Amino acid sequence: MSNENSTLYSKKNLPGNFAKIGQMLLAVGLILVVLAYFVDHTRSAFNNLILLMFLTSIGVGSLFLVAMEYLGGAVWSTPFRRITEFFAAVILVIPLAAIPIYFNLHDLFHWTHAEAVAEDKILAGKSSYLNETFFIIRIVFFIAVWFLFYFLIIKNSKKQDSSGDPKLTTRNIKLSAVFIPIFGLTITFASIDWVMSLEPHWFSTIFGVYFFSGTILAALAFTTFIVVYMNEKGLLIKGIKKDHYYSLGAYLFAFINFWAYIAFSQYMLIWYANLPEETFWFLQRWEGGWMYISIALIIIHFVVPYFGLLSQPSKMNPKRLMFMSIWILFAHIIDLYWLIMPTYSKDSVPLGWIELAFPILAIGAVITVFSIKAKKENHVPIGDPKLKRGLDFRL
Amino acid sequence: MSTVDYTREISVIEGQPPLREIDEVISKPLETKPDKKFYMAISVTLTMLLIGGIALGLSFYYGTGLWGNNNPVGWGLPIVNFVFWVGIGHAGTLISAILFLFRQKWRTGIARFAEGMTIFAVMTAGIFPLIHVGRPWLAGYLIPYPNQHSLWVNFTSPLLWDVFAVSTYFAVSFIFWYVGLIPDFAALRERTTNKIKKVIYSIGSLGWRNSNRHWQHYEMVYLILAGFATPLVLSVHTIVSFDFAISILPGWHTTIFPPYFVAGAVFSGFAMVQNVLIFIRKIFNYEHIITLKTLENMNKIILLTGSMVGYAYAMEFFIAWYSGVQPEQFTFLNRAFGPYAWAYWIMVSCNVISPQLFWFKKIRTTIPVMFVIAVFVNVGMWFERFVIVVTSLSRDYLPSSWAYFTPTLTDFGILIGSFGLFFTLLLIFTKTLPVVSIAEVKAVVDGSQPSHKDH
Amino acid sequence: MTDKKLYSLTAVFDKPDDIINAAEKVSDSGYTKYDINTPYPVHGLDGAMKLPPSKLGYSALVLGLSGTFAAVLMIYFMSVYDYPIVIGGKPFFALPAFVPIMFEITVLAASIGTVLTMLFFFFKFPNNSHPLLETDYMKLVSVDKYGVSIQADDPKFNEDEISKLYNDLGASKILPVYWDLEEVLYEHKIVEPKFLGMLALTAIIVSGTVYFSLNKLMFMEPFSWMMEQEKLSPQQKSEFFSDGYSMRPPVEGAIARGDLPYQFADKPEMAAKILSNPLVSSEENLLLGKTKYNIYCSPCHGYFGEGDSRLRGQFPNPPSLHSQKLRDWTDGRIYHVIEVGQNVMPAYNTQMTNNEKWATILYIRALQRSLNAKESDL
Repeated sequence: MSNENSTLYSKKNLPGNFAKIGQMLLAVGLILVVLAYFVDHTRSAFNNLILLMFLTSIGVGSLFLVAMEYLGGAVWSTPFRRITEFFAAVILVIPLAAIPIYFNLHDLFHWTHAEAVAEDKILAGKSSYLNETFFIIRIVFFIAVWFLFYFLIIKNSKKQDSSGDPKLTTRNIKLSAVFIPIFGLTITFASIDWVMSLEPHWFSTIFGVYFFSGTILAALAFTTFIVVYMNEKGLLIKGIKKDHYYSLGAYLFAFINFWAYIAFSQYMLIWYANLPEETFWFLQRWEGGWMYISIALIIIHFVVPYFGLLSQPSKMNPKRLMFMSIWILFAHIIDLYWLIMPTYSKDSVPLGWIELAFPILAIGAVITVFSIKAKKENHVPIGDPKLKRGLDFRL
Repeated sequence: MSTVDYTREISVIEGQPPLREIDEVISKPLETKPDKKFYMAISVTLTMLLIGGIALGLSFYYGTGLWGNNNPVGWGLPIVNFVFWVGIGHAGTLISAILFLFRQKWRTGIARFAEGMTIFAVMTAGIFPLIHVGRPWLAGYLIPYPNQHSLWVNFTSPLLWDVFAVSTYFAVSFIFWYVGLIPDFAALRERTTNKIKKVIYSIGSLGWRNSNRHWQHYEMVYLILAGFATPLVLSVHTIVSFDFAISILPGWHTTIFPPYFVAGAVFSGFAMVQNVLIFIRKIFNYEHIITLKTLENMNKIILLTGSMVGYAYAMEFFIAWYSGVQPEQFTFLNRAFGPYAWAYWIMVSCNVISPQLFWFKKIRTTIPVMFVIAVFVNVGMWFERFVIVVTSLSRDYLPSSWAYFTPTLTDFGILIGSFGLFFTLLLIFTKTLPVVSIAEVKAVVDGSQPSHKDH
Repeated sequence: MTDKKLYSLTAVFDKPDDIINAAEKVSDSGYTKYDINTPYPVHGLDGAMKLPPSKLGYSALVLGLSGTFAAVLMIYFMSVYDYPIVIGGKPFFALPAFVPIMFEITVLAASIGTVLTMLFFFFKFPNNSHPLLETDYMKLVSVDKYGVSIQADDPKFNEDEISKLYNDLGASKILPVYWDLEEVLYEHKIVEPKFLGMLALTAIIVSGTVYFSLNKLMFMEPFSWMMEQEKLSPQQKSEFFSDGYSMRPPVEGAIARGDLPYQFADKPEMAAKILSNPLVSSEENLLLGKTKYNIYCSPCHGYFGEGDSRLRGQFPNPPSLHSQKLRDWTDGRIYHVIEVGQNVMPAYNTQMTNNEKWATILYIRALQRSLNAKESDL
């Protein structure tokens, strides 16, 4: 069954400067990062962790969004599902960001120091989980699983462009159903391993959910930005309209609230119970100038986007959506910074060109991956049986 | 398995019934006299209610010493039941608000009914904290009003947050339910020939005249209410979880409690709605309105939330070990292998294992099987609260004050009574108000919306 | 036609597409006082009728924010301003702990308020006497038909023209709707006896119930059990003990913790020699002494120790504390008087702790010095 839309859709190229901007950011970022490693080794390693977590957020989060569309049977997001799939390709560069971490484990993780573990009863108790071998095995396993599902799901979606076979959709629904619980577990343990174990004495059962909420928000923000941007430039298919924008805006709004809910729950419970083994983590983020970052996080990550996307018209306003998407990505970087950096520097807030280099590299990498994918492939899943319904979607 | 046609939307109402027929089917239970089955059902529920009434009366007369509550397990069954019933109440608002925001049209057939269940469940739940204070006639002090002691309530106490959360939840659910009922009251008013009924329906409809100038605001209000009810429904069980989690008791103080309680509440609520719907659609011939597809969708949500609950159990266990805090580690080992291991394993097998069967489409679409699983889920969720409340309290930091908690007959009498109250209200509801939203169902029948050809 | 008053001319359509079309035509023809009635919200009608978007979102925002504000104000007043108590070591203004209630009140105010605004302010409900109700037209449009109704008070109203328009649009039925004359002509009296009766009845029932439950019910079993406990109140006669006292004296020879019996009961000279004030005259101690002096000593000796209290003349005159004798007494000697009393002065050993007695002595010394200061004090 060849789809009637295939005649309406002709593949368009991204504007030339788009790829250029990505490559430039990537190049500048790369040079700065290499330089940073020469200047301050430990500090770079911590920033490298921010880079890694950011790429994980975008890549794995996007794959999750794709899987959710299949599983939920959503049609409104079908016309631009391919955009999210392009972002999921960021998964492929996660290992590149993870390799420097491997070489700097001792700088990052207190529990990798055998002499520290020997002196510390609590760390010794955790050593069957927090040891280098098992850590590496887990990381390799997580990345392998993400790779596997990336290739399986994207392959079917791509194949459908030419065949238009609805069976591929059915297959992807099943794959998504398997992927989602696996995603939940891998992202949880990845966040525990990479971020929570930076402070090996601290623990919080909600931490995986906290990281998940930020992940989805960041992935969604990138998708929203590109979809609105490309659609306003006419680079997507005809038929994506205010109704789709509204849905994207509503999802962003929902996840902003979800993040705030989870963040508040975590803070509130630890603040209220006031147990020394938990509160020190928040105290670290309140002393030595970190208070300003903590307060800024609330405002940047919640208050501003909340009021920015509260009203119905603002969720349909392309300019507002694009601005808010970039804002949320910025907020996500601040969030990661707030999670990771206090372990590096407890007494002062490290803010310098090194902290700028890694986000530049991250954004550059994501845009470059996106533009490479966008050059090669259709921007719209033209063979998807849900496409027509997606384009006809009304609120 | 035949291939699914993804190019068309599956209609939520089967067979494109004429709109007039929908009116007739939905208002039929209101216009016919109750049959024998109804009397049988209500006599069972009234008996249960009576048992509860007697147990409550005895408790009021002789005091709470009749319950199993002891020191250290001071919370006992009343709080278990409270959390259980509030949890049941979550499905209604979830269906009517969250699924509305997600534009899941299959919710239309079940929303009204689920909302009704919410209201009744919250009413039932409200009994327990009141009786647990021992002197319920003094419960007025829970409200901050200028009193003769010139004392105010404690705003930092989660028990007070509960008072606000549950009463807000009840009020908002009720108004949500009523707003949905207004057009249906109008439809019934125009339909009925009985004079008394006409007066009642007229009062209920407030003079609704199906005007599109009204529908426009009405839809807006529905959206706003859904927008408010969604965070509200999350907040209610979150606050219930705060009752436990802000303490320092191992097994209670864990940060995942808020989302975990919400997932659990939705899980048990959906199971309860599922249980009741299976009967309702059969007895009232609503099979084309509450379709098998709807039930399957509900099963999917049960599977999803059940997996979330399983995730939370796993995280609790893992982090308890990972934390290196000895009391935490002990509490979780004690749950799984201590004196309450039986309750723990009932909970795990009912909540985590049984819903996993819904991975199979065959099971998702077989009514008797899903009914049994939904019952299991309810049992499991009751035991979850039992495990949380009782195991943590019965063995806390001080081994010298450990004690085993055994519920008494009075405790069970009140529990049975709560089921009696809930189902009695539900049965009365089915015969007095339309259990399916007439206006909403009509709006999603195929062909009831303009084709937008000229747009 | 003479005894009927036309409210509107209505037309009924069978298909949702027809009603969209009709709505467009009617609004394009310049009618303003018309309405569309449908059994459920039909998508696209708002656009066809060119209705402005609903403004209820704003009222929800305003109501919600005022709810938040009211909640903050209420909690601040009660927990921070009016009756602050430290609970769990938290600050008086424990913001995270107030968030749940602030949120709940916001939601409550916004949702209930918005619904009430819509019903009573936007719709002017309840309105059960609207002429469209209880008509054949309403019976159709509340089930499966879609209707247009153009009111007779529309400036462009013309029955024939509208009928023609309806017919052109393909209406399946055209129905005129009349005012219910009985209702229109009914004269409302200010004082309706039925209404007043109802008010009076409600007042009686409510006040009676409240009176009964607060003043009678609460004193019945089992509610009264908290008040009537099987225990003896202080000063009540005991049937059980032979001496009839309900309060038991401590066993003979029992000593309160940290309190040694006074050893110099009848040896004031010994006390004067041996006892010495353990306290230093710090501001804290003097303040304590002042408080205790003002409570226990001042009623007789006066606020300044001159024996000039208001009791003077009604009682053997209390002596001045400024006499040479007293100034020469050691602290231990004064302590002895406080401990066991002297002449008509009772003993204060049970009212004051040792510390307080010594602090009072410090204060007395300060008083004495204020009248008979040495030069070195200046």
